[in-house]
Amino acid sequence: MFFIKNWFLHGLIFLATIILLFLLIPLLNMVFGNDLMLLLDVLKQKDVIGSIYLTMKVSLWAMVFVLITGLPLAYIIARYNFFGRSFVEALIDIPIMIPHTAAGIALLMVFGRGSISDAFESVGIMFVDTEMGIMVAMMFLSSTFLINGAKEGFKKVDVKLEKVARTLGANPMQVFLKISIPNARKDIINGALMMWGRGLGEFGAVIMLTYHPMVAPVLIYDRFTSYGLSHSAPVAAIMIIISIFIFLSVRFVNNRFK
Amino acid sequence: MGLFEVKNLSYKIENFKLDNISFKVNKGEYFTLLGQSGSGKTLLLESIAGFNSITGTINFEGRDISKLSPENRDVGFVYQDFALFPNLNVKDNIMFAGKYKHVSNPKETLNDLTNFLGLTQLLKRDVDNLSGGERQRVAIARALFAKPKILLLDEPLSAIDPTFRNTIMKFLKDIHRKYNLTTIHVTHNFREASYLADRIAIVMNGQIKQVGTATNVLNNPVNIDVAKFLGFKNILPSSMINDTKDRLFSVDPNAIHVGKHKFDCDYMFDGIVEECMGIVDHYKIFIDVDGEQFFAKILKRDFKSSYANRGDSIYIGFDKDDVCFL
Repeated sequence: MFFIKNWFLHGLIFLATIILLFLLIPLLNMVFGNDLMLLLDVLKQKDVIGSIYLTMKVSLWAMVFVLITGLPLAYIIARYNFFGRSFVEALIDIPIMIPHTAAGIALLMVFGRGSISDAFESVGIMFVDTEMGIMVAMMFLSSTFLINGAKEGFKKVDVKLEKVARTLGANPMQVFLKISIPNARKDIINGALMMWGRGLGEFGAVIMLTYHPMVAPVLIYDRFTSYGLSHSAPVAAIMIIISIFIFLSVRFVNNRFK
Repeated sequence: MGLFEVKNLSYKIENFKLDNISFKVNKGEYFTLLGQSGSGKTLLLESIAGFNSITGTINFEGRDISKLSPENRDVGFVYQDFALFPNLNVKDNIMFAGKYKHVSNPKETLNDLTNFLGLTQLLKRDVDNLSGGERQRVAIARALFAKPKILLLDEPLSAIDPTFRNTIMKFLKDIHRKYNLTTIHVTHNFREASYLADRIAIVMNGQIKQVGTATNVLNNPVNIDVAKFLGFKNILPSSMINDTKDRLFSVDPNAIHVGKHKFDCDYMFDGIVEECMGIVDHYKIFIDVDGEQFFAKILKRDFKSSYANRGDSIYIGFDKDDVCFL
């Protein structure tokens, strides 16, 4: 009787379980399907640790760069109506819709040759086979998550809070830093985590600009093509474990403290 | 002497316009902007605070402040929903201004405000865990901590439980007196305005229709629209009371006497009862007099002896003193 009465809810749970298992099983299999000793052994390999560290570090740089430049953009879109706003919003969304290898080619044509590349090169900044190349590839394909997350966060901040803060003596910059950002913090951090996570896994665009030094996804691919599944799977498992640990920690801290 | 003077203020947003608004507020005065929802009261208050690029001037102690940014205008603002900063606790909300402008004796000011407003026990509380009344007091304390020269209140009573409104109204008046404030209070409620205001401005469709003392504005509306908004009933042609001028008059429904027989009154009419509605302790009676409808409110105990049904003939009357010409 209970089942019949709740057939709709049970139907929803059944369908939701299918997709949850689809997402969960490969991850669990990757983490627990590897021999623990093998994982510990891989952790001792300098190129693996170096590659994971490089991936974390560069994706963090990319995230910080987009925090500095993307938060103002998100705020402008959330607060002001201006001609071309829809175009700007579409432009922000485009990178996640195009093939990553195509994005990599586009970046290579701008940052690998031509006047823009030359201008950067003249001040010592190069993008091919450098950490800077990895960073621009990560930023291009993942900044959407941070900007859109922040935009939604700013929209939720009542504009009256900002107005009152102005009457209490804060200038627009102080209001932005002390009222707008702190009250949009959850969405900004979620967006930043999404961006960082997306950057960690970026492969297609990175490989077009920078094969060496190897980020973790390139190392996994390199080991898979050179030595097969048994050599690439432990690296992938370690990458997944570290990523999950970091994401859960940041989310916990974000939810725990105001 | 006018402390604060708005001259020819205009501001257009989408299809709405604040149109050539002028008024003065004297030092220490409790000034109320009274108008219906959508009349532009809040927009006007925000324009005074500096949130909109207006045309016209706003003079404050002889200085034009209309081009100054909000942080340089010395105004305190309390919104209808109080707009407390959710990322700060009660104490940090109140002391917010201290970080950005000079506040003399901040500790004493905080103690004085929190004692007077009954917030001492709440200082460490999250603002999300406050009642409506507590939130209002925190918002007022936050505005007063900055020691503004003018306090702007945007419908401060509308988010308060109706049973506490009288208490809060008295409280607002006490604050105004204690801190020697000049206050501009926006409301749609003319009862609120009549209790609080020294002077009132009626705002309708983005224009000021009437400015004057509370007694004058509430008793002598300048036109029929203001009269209707202020709750005037029985707005009728003055020819009915033998007035030779072509104008309207109004009479308070509570001032109309009703009887089955003639009685002594300055003006007396006989009419037909169109409707008689019993409401708790009184009747609402609608009487047709030569095609014009009078509305009278009669206490049940006064009406017992002369109760009339629909269609019955009845006498109504009122005195000269109860007539207001428009």
